[in-house]
Amino acid sequence: MQGYMNKILRINLSSGKISKEEISHEMKIKYIGGRGFAIRTLWEEVQGVDPLKEDNKIVFSTGPLTGLPLPSSGKMVIASKSPLTGGYGDSSIGTKASMHLKKTGYDMLIVEGKAKFPSYIFVENDEVKICDAKDLWGKGTFEAQDFLEAKHGQNTGILLIGPAGERMVRFASIISQKGRAAGRTGMGAVMGSKNLKGIVMKGNNEIPLFDAEKLKALGKGSYGLIRGSEGITNKDQQNYDFWLRQGTMATVEWGQENGCLPAYNYREGTFKFAKQLDGYAMEKIKIDRKGCPLCIMQCGNIVKDAEGKDSELDYENVVMLGSVLGLKDLKQISTLVRFADDYGLDAISLGSCLGFLMEASEKGLISDGIAWGDYEGCKRVIKDIINNRGNGAIVFEGTLKAAQLIGGNSKDWAMQVKGMEISAYDCHGLPGMALAFGTSPVGGHHRDAWMAAYEIGKDRFSYGREKVEKLIEMQRWRGGMFEALTVCRFPWVELNLVLTKYLEFLEAATGLALSDKDIFDLGDRFYALMRAYWVREKGIWDREMDVPPARWFNEPLKEGNLKGIKLDKGKYVEMLSMYYELRGWDANGIPKKETFQRLGLGDVVEVKRNG
Amino acid sequence: MKLSEMAEFKFIGYIAEIMGKRSLSIAMENPTKLENLLRFEGKKDRFVLLINKEIGNFDSVINNEDEVTIMSIISGG
Repeated sequence: MQGYMNKILRINLSSGKISKEEISHEMKIKYIGGRGFAIRTLWEEVQGVDPLKEDNKIVFSTGPLTGLPLPSSGKMVIASKSPLTGGYGDSSIGTKASMHLKKTGYDMLIVEGKAKFPSYIFVENDEVKICDAKDLWGKGTFEAQDFLEAKHGQNTGILLIGPAGERMVRFASIISQKGRAAGRTGMGAVMGSKNLKGIVMKGNNEIPLFDAEKLKALGKGSYGLIRGSEGITNKDQQNYDFWLRQGTMATVEWGQENGCLPAYNYREGTFKFAKQLDGYAMEKIKIDRKGCPLCIMQCGNIVKDAEGKDSELDYENVVMLGSVLGLKDLKQISTLVRFADDYGLDAISLGSCLGFLMEASEKGLISDGIAWGDYEGCKRVIKDIINNRGNGAIVFEGTLKAAQLIGGNSKDWAMQVKGMEISAYDCHGLPGMALAFGTSPVGGHHRDAWMAAYEIGKDRFSYGREKVEKLIEMQRWRGGMFEALTVCRFPWVELNLVLTKYLEFLEAATGLALSDKDIFDLGDRFYALMRAYWVREKGIWDREMDVPPARWFNEPLKEGNLKGIKLDKGKYVEMLSMYYELRGWDANGIPKKETFQRLGLGDVVEVKRNG
Repeated sequence: MKLSEMAEFKFIGYIAEIMGKRSLSIAMENPTKLENLLRFEGKKDRFVLLINKEIGNFDSVINNEDEVTIMSIISGG
C-alpha cells in the first residue's frame, strides 16, 4: 500500500541480529500505524515480562502521514511495556527522527534484547549498525546530541536517553533535539535497560504516494488554513500570530481563570503568582521557537533560563515544575525544565514527584525534606533521583511506589492514575477531565481526551451521559486517529484545520478512504486491545484502576473562584459505569467477548492474566 | 464610579488579540444585551463565554455588577 515503506526493521541487541520484515496488508488496514502497530506488536510479542529485562521490547512506530509535506506530520509513537506502570505504555514525540525513520525505509523499528555494553543504533537507509556508545554513557542528552550531530551530520534524526534513562529512573524520557520529549510512561528507562543510549537515523528514500498531486494541493491549502491566510476572517491570522508568540503557554492564564491550574501538588486550582509564569511573562524572555519538521506552528518556546542557558518551555513543563511546586520565578522554572530534558526525565512525572516530596516534608513524613518553592532544593533532589539516593530514592519509581514506601494516607495525594503521574490540570471542578485521566490508556495523561474546555463551555459540574459520550468521541479521534496517523492535534484544536482534512490526507497518501465510523471502530479497537494488555500484564484488575486520586474527592479547594468545590465520588463511579457500558466493557472495565469480536479482535477474546 | 457599578470584561488568549485589550469595564444605564455592548468578529464555535462563571451567549443581558469572560478554546499541551 502507498504511504507506507511497508517494512519493519527489527534489531536484537543481545544477538546483534538485524532483520527486515514485511508489514501485512491486514496490519495496515486494521491498525493504520503508530499506536495501532505498537499495541498489536506488544500484544503479540511482549507478554509476562519484567519491563526492565531484556525480553521486553521497545517499538518506534510512524504512521502513513509521517514525513509528508503536511501540517504536523513529524511525530512518532514510542511504546513498550511500561516500567512505571507495568501496563501498556506509549509516548508521542515530534522530532526530525520521525521523518528520518520513515525515510530510511521503515515504518517501524522494534528493538529487543540487551546490548553487552553501552551502544547506539545507526540507520542510514539500508545500512544498519550497532555502535559503541561507551564515550556517551553518562552524558546528558544535550551533549550527546552535539556529539552525534558532529559525527553523523546535522541532517539526522536522533533519539537519546540521559543519565536518568541509563539508571532506569522509572519515569525517564527519550529526548530529541535538546528538548523534544517522549516523556511519558518511562520509555527512557526501557532504552537504558537495554544499554541503548540512542538511535541515529538518516534517510532519504522517497515515500510512495497514492495521489501525489492531490496530497501536494491538500498540504498547501492546509498550511494556508493554519496560517489564517485562507481563513474566513482576518481574525484567524491574529489567532495564528498569537499561537506563534505563546503556543501552549497561553493555557496558564486560561487555567488560572477557570480554576484548574494545579498548584501545591493539586491542593489548589489557582496559583497566586500565575501571572509571573504565564504566556505573557514567557514572551518577555523568549528568544526563539523550536519544534517538528514540516510544522508551521512550532510549539517549543525557547527562553534563557536562570543559568543563562536555552530551555524549551510549554504549558505542561512550566506548570508541573512551577505552580505545582509553588515556584514562581519563570527563569528558575526554565532551569528545572532544562535539567529534566538534559538528564532525560519526564517533566510531568518529575514535577509530581517533587510536589509529593514537598507535601510529605510539610506533613513531617520524611526527614531532610524540601519546602514549597525551594528552587535549590529541587535541583538537589533531581540529582538525588537520578542517583537513587536520599529523598530522591523515595520517588525513583514514581509517586504510587513512593506512597507505598512512606505509608499513611499519602496515596490519597500521590497524584497518579495506574501508577503514572497526572498531567497539569486540576480536576476538583472538572468531572469529565477527571474521567479522562481515569480512563486514559497509559495512566494519568491528557493526550487522548482534553475534556476541560468542552465541559467549561457546556455544563461544567455535570456527570451526565452526554459528557461521557463526548469523552469517548475524543478518545476515538485523539487516541485513535491522531495516534494511528501519528500527527499532531494542535492544527485541529488550536487553529483551523477540520478533522475530516486528516482523512483526506490519508486517502491521498494511501488510497484508503475511511469514514467517521471506521475511525471510531479503529479507536475502539485500540482501546479494547490496550485494556486487554493492561489486564493481561497486571494480572489483577478492578475498576479502582480507573479512579483518580482521593484528593479530588475528599479535599475541597480552599482558594480561588471555585473555593469549596470537590468531585463527588458516587457520581464519578456512576459516570465510570456509563463509560464501560458505552464502550461494551463489563462492570470491571474489561471488554466483553462480543466487543472484541465486533472490533475484529476475536483472537483476544480470552484474556489470560499473568501474575 | 465604583467597580460594582460597572460590568467587567476579561478576554483570555487570542480573544485579547481580537479585542485589542485583555480587560474592559463598561458602565450601563440599563441592563443591555451583550451583542449591543461588544463588537466581536471571532468565529462563534471557537470560544467560550462565561457570565459570572456560568455559560452565556451574545443574547445574554448584562448588568453592571456582572463579570464576563470570553476565552478561546485551547488544548493544553
